[in-house]
Amino acid sequence: MRPDIAIPEGLLEPALTVGTVTPGSLDDQVLAFPETLPPRQWYIGITITLSALFIGLGFIGYTFYKGIGAWGNSSPVFWAFDIINFVFWVGIGHAGTLISAILFLFRKRWRNAIARFAEAMTIFAVICAVIFPLIHVGRPWVAFWLFPYPNQRALWTNFRSPLLWDVFAVNTYFSVSLMFWYLGLIPDIASMRDRTKSKLRKTIYTVLAVGWRGAATHWQHYEKAYLLLAGLATGLVLSVHSVVSFDFATSVVPGWHMTIFPPYFVAGAIFAGFSMVVMVLVVVRETMQLKNLITMRHLDVMNKVILAMSCIMGYSYMMEGFTAWYSMNEYLHHGFMNIITGTYGWAGWLTISCNIFIPQILWFKKARTSYFWMIFVAIGVTIGMWFERFVIIVISLHQDYLPSAWRVYVPTMTDFGILLGTFGIFFTLVLLFARVLPVIATTEVKAILPGAQPSHHGDDHHV
Amino acid sequence: MSQNPKKSPLLLGAMGLGALGVLGTYVAAGHERFWANWVLWFVLIFTLGLGSLFIVALEHLVSARWSVPVRRIPERLATLLLPAVPVGLIALFALPVLYPGTRPEAAHNHILAGKAFWLSIPFFSVRTAIAMVLVLIGLAILVGGSLKQDQTKDPAFNFKARKFAPAYMAIFALVITLIAFDWISGLTPEWYSDIFGVYIFAGAFLSGLAATVLCLLYLQDQDRLGGVKGDHLFNLGGFLFAFTVFWSYIGFAQYMLMWYANMPDEVIYYKVRLAGSWRAITITLALVHFILPFFALVTRAAKKDPKRLRRVAYLMLGAHLLDLYWLIFPVLGAKPLFSWPELSFALFFIGGITIWVRGAMEKGEDMPVGDPFLREGLEFRL
Amino acid sequence: MSETSFSVLGIFDTPNSLMAAIPKLRATKLGTVEAYTPYPIHGIDDALGLRKSPLGGMVLVMGILGALTAFGFEYWISAVDYPIITGGKAAGSWEAFIPIMFEVTVLFATFTAGLGMLLLLNKLPFFGHPVLSAKAITSITRDRYVLALEAESEAFDSQAAVAALQAAGATDIEVLPAPDRSPFLTSDYILRTLGGIFVACLVAGLGIFTLTKWFPLLRPMVNMQDQPRLNAQKPSSFFKDGHGMQRPVAGTVARGHLPTATGKQEEAASLVNPLPRTKEVFEVGRKAYHNRCEVCHGAIGNGVGSLTAAYGGKPANLQAQQFRDYPDGKIYWAIVNGKNAMPSHAADLTDAQRWSVVHYVRALQRAQNAKDEDLKVVAP
Repeated sequence: MRPDIAIPEGLLEPALTVGTVTPGSLDDQVLAFPETLPPRQWYIGITITLSALFIGLGFIGYTFYKGIGAWGNSSPVFWAFDIINFVFWVGIGHAGTLISAILFLFRKRWRNAIARFAEAMTIFAVICAVIFPLIHVGRPWVAFWLFPYPNQRALWTNFRSPLLWDVFAVNTYFSVSLMFWYLGLIPDIASMRDRTKSKLRKTIYTVLAVGWRGAATHWQHYEKAYLLLAGLATGLVLSVHSVVSFDFATSVVPGWHMTIFPPYFVAGAIFAGFSMVVMVLVVVRETMQLKNLITMRHLDVMNKVILAMSCIMGYSYMMEGFTAWYSMNEYLHHGFMNIITGTYGWAGWLTISCNIFIPQILWFKKARTSYFWMIFVAIGVTIGMWFERFVIIVISLHQDYLPSAWRVYVPTMTDFGILLGTFGIFFTLVLLFARVLPVIATTEVKAILPGAQPSHHGDDHHV
Repeated sequence: MSQNPKKSPLLLGAMGLGALGVLGTYVAAGHERFWANWVLWFVLIFTLGLGSLFIVALEHLVSARWSVPVRRIPERLATLLLPAVPVGLIALFALPVLYPGTRPEAAHNHILAGKAFWLSIPFFSVRTAIAMVLVLIGLAILVGGSLKQDQTKDPAFNFKARKFAPAYMAIFALVITLIAFDWISGLTPEWYSDIFGVYIFAGAFLSGLAATVLCLLYLQDQDRLGGVKGDHLFNLGGFLFAFTVFWSYIGFAQYMLMWYANMPDEVIYYKVRLAGSWRAITITLALVHFILPFFALVTRAAKKDPKRLRRVAYLMLGAHLLDLYWLIFPVLGAKPLFSWPELSFALFFIGGITIWVRGAMEKGEDMPVGDPFLREGLEFRL
Repeated sequence: MSETSFSVLGIFDTPNSLMAAIPKLRATKLGTVEAYTPYPIHGIDDALGLRKSPLGGMVLVMGILGALTAFGFEYWISAVDYPIITGGKAAGSWEAFIPIMFEVTVLFATFTAGLGMLLLLNKLPFFGHPVLSAKAITSITRDRYVLALEAESEAFDSQAAVAALQAAGATDIEVLPAPDRSPFLTSDYILRTLGGIFVACLVAGLGIFTLTKWFPLLRPMVNMQDQPRLNAQKPSSFFKDGHGMQRPVAGTVARGHLPTATGKQEEAASLVNPLPRTKEVFEVGRKAYHNRCEVCHGAIGNGVGSLTAAYGGKPANLQAQQFRDYPDGKIYWAIVNGKNAMPSHAADLTDAQRWSVVHYVRALQRAQNAKDEDLKVVAP
């Protein structure tokens, strides 16, 4: 047959684990965290995040008490921080689903070590996001009216409104992510159940692991379910943020009614989400000594995804700018000029710099594998993506068709306080998760270790 | 090893008959009809070639190894970009006939007057020419380099291709957007949709995938792809399925957003295509480009069944043609024209494409034998 | 504890030894061969001869059901039960229903995949399986691979099973007793509970819906509408022709509409204007004249009104001597009965208004034919 050609060093990919890792050592390393009390830094960390959380809760309570007037929302900028934060957090959640689901379908084995944490971040991000539709309505105590239940007013919900599509999409996304995450956890909790010496923990883990015993007949259905869920969740990733983009694109506000919004929003969500994942994983691998499992290769690949998404965002911005000119529509043109000049021109430039210019440094492998650069880029992207939603929402609203309605928007302390609160919620949940549940899907990583599969199948053929 | 079907008399005969009809169209059926057909087939060939080259570049970009054994097929299909150049250069003569932005009346239309220099024949032609040059450079590097590697067996090509792939992606994004905005929506220059580039990309990618599947099955029937298993076919079938859904999502998003806002300057595009006889074509397009392929490929077994894949691939190429017809032909009027001119053009160009592709399937080895990852690719299992 | 053992476990150290042992153990036909592993092993399904999982088909069916349910529900709500036009879109606008239909499809499909796998196919939760309390379980979920020969009947030969496992390469053997089905919190229980909740929601929902539609139409809620009185346009058995609405008895006169000024205009001459000549009366007369008379007879009563030219008729010039000599009654008669081209204004003006207009016409006539004495101040 054909003689084999030697694969040069530069084309080989580094191993997914560093050093000797066996299933037993993996369990000992990863499952040790839920079994022990956290170090002092963790307590400091959670004190900070809980403070932010309570500040946020306070401001939310104040909002309920005073009404939406406590925020900066005013004519014509009727949507501001509330929707910016909603879209921001839903977007961040998408990275987790992409890593879990889409990369699973592509059989990228490097996802296994990071999928668990990413999925957890999805759920926490969606929790933060869902707060905003609930509190931004004038009467949050009747928020249940959003659901079509038979009532004595004989009234139904308006299915033609994209805001209702949002309700269904985000709720579906949350339930599916939660279920996907939980099903993945079952075998790992079973490991914890069989390791623990504490009776209380054993009871809790026994219930949560629903009697999982690793039977091959069970694994068969489990794997099929996982594959189907991955396929369905992929559809969700595309659809949920597209439905969120429909909130804007179905309107006639210049700068909002752009047909490119659905894929543009999805790309932006993956972009912001991966940046958050990179930031959190850098901290996790350092503080939890998981460098042999969350390797530099993982970070390198994630940074490549961030770079690719930055390029897609660049294409989208270019199309928006081109269309603003090509349409010969003076309102669209004016709206676009407002992004780069005018009261909020600084926000437009900040967005473009953080989302397009700065991430270009990731073309260089040195930057992709350097903590400083990747965190710098990731923070930049997080800020840039928050401001992108600011640009879309505030700039387009503050000056649209009727000049007599043009007004400058100024956020209030309450707006900032609630945003801070959501970061508090998110990171509190992250910190809790890191000490209560296995942060790495030990079962999935065990399946891809060298020697994990029978030799005539091997595990190097799954590319 | 392989027969030489290039000189199949049947195909040449069909092409000849078609050519007669093509000339007849120019003489007897009106210049507009002639050019609409010519532009349709130019765009089809160009998007097919672009989609195929995109597949190749994507494989290098993500360093995919399962696809190495089948990579030669889209590489050969990408050579369609070569005949696309003369077809495209001839298509430039359609500009004053079909493209309102190039005509002097445009000066009186306040929307067109503002972008007259952009829509004018010189600038349009220059853009198209630059696009073709860039795409041919991509072809030379990715396909030419791969064919050379068959002889040299030098892994240096892999490094070069990986480095060039992102640049090709940028080129591709610009070129496919140019095809969409200039060649297709340029027929109605008052209309705009910034997702249109993505929509045409989806169609191009799908047609490239479908053609790849068909050629793969063609080669397998001749026992020329030893080692390529159902697992490889399954991946291709999976991509066909996924991107059918993607195309439908983009198509529906564009339609629904324009329907919802109901702005007169946008909605006119769909009103034309939902009125009278065009309505039936629109519904047929949704059926053959989404419903049928979706349900035909939804099961796991279907995605690796050669018979099913062959039929669905043919359906998808037909659907891509219908898509372009649906986009381009409304410029000729309220009735969808289909008669001997369209059939002649179809005979001519399908004959030509088939002859070219069959010839291309003889270029180089059937698998990239110089690629160091070939062995790994052949050992791929799901 | 029963003497009959349920299964025998053999622990293997590597996936290869596990896979090599499977065909050997299946060949012994001592019992069902089951494997317990910390993660799924490739190729083990075929080695154990497992049938394909039906989950894919279940998910497809439920997904399609979800799509139809969602679309049908949205359509019924928006176009049938309470159609409201919103945003100028037709009530049955299918385009707007697609996003939610898609999300509900995914929801139905994913819950079928997840819960179907867990509850239906794997019958989990189940806490009573003996493997869970075996010594081997800590290895199963950690790093060892276990094959079990499970009894298919009472005639299970555990000694032979132990020997077969040792021959196949197991490094450790464990014999397990029969399983003990725990009565509480099994998958069946959860399925039944979920089913019950679903049925309850369906019944409650349909019930509330029906009640809100029909409740107001049941007795006694409807009694207020059902009163023994005559409602407009309803039948009545009281009258011979069955109509509830009857014409007034012949000779009925509406209030304020006593027939006046019947007969000829000359006979009306004897009618006397009952209203005094006060400022209020003249004001009423002025307004009524302005509304009803001015268009033809003109602002000063000279027969040149805004309608005159367009109308083509010749309204009476009330300043003419003939009409200045008219007694009040004859002017009143003309208002009530009309004269020549002038229609009757009886329906437009009440009796008081008519007599006020008469006073006003007199004032108009006097204004155009003023004498010196008219400038004298009249004592109040």
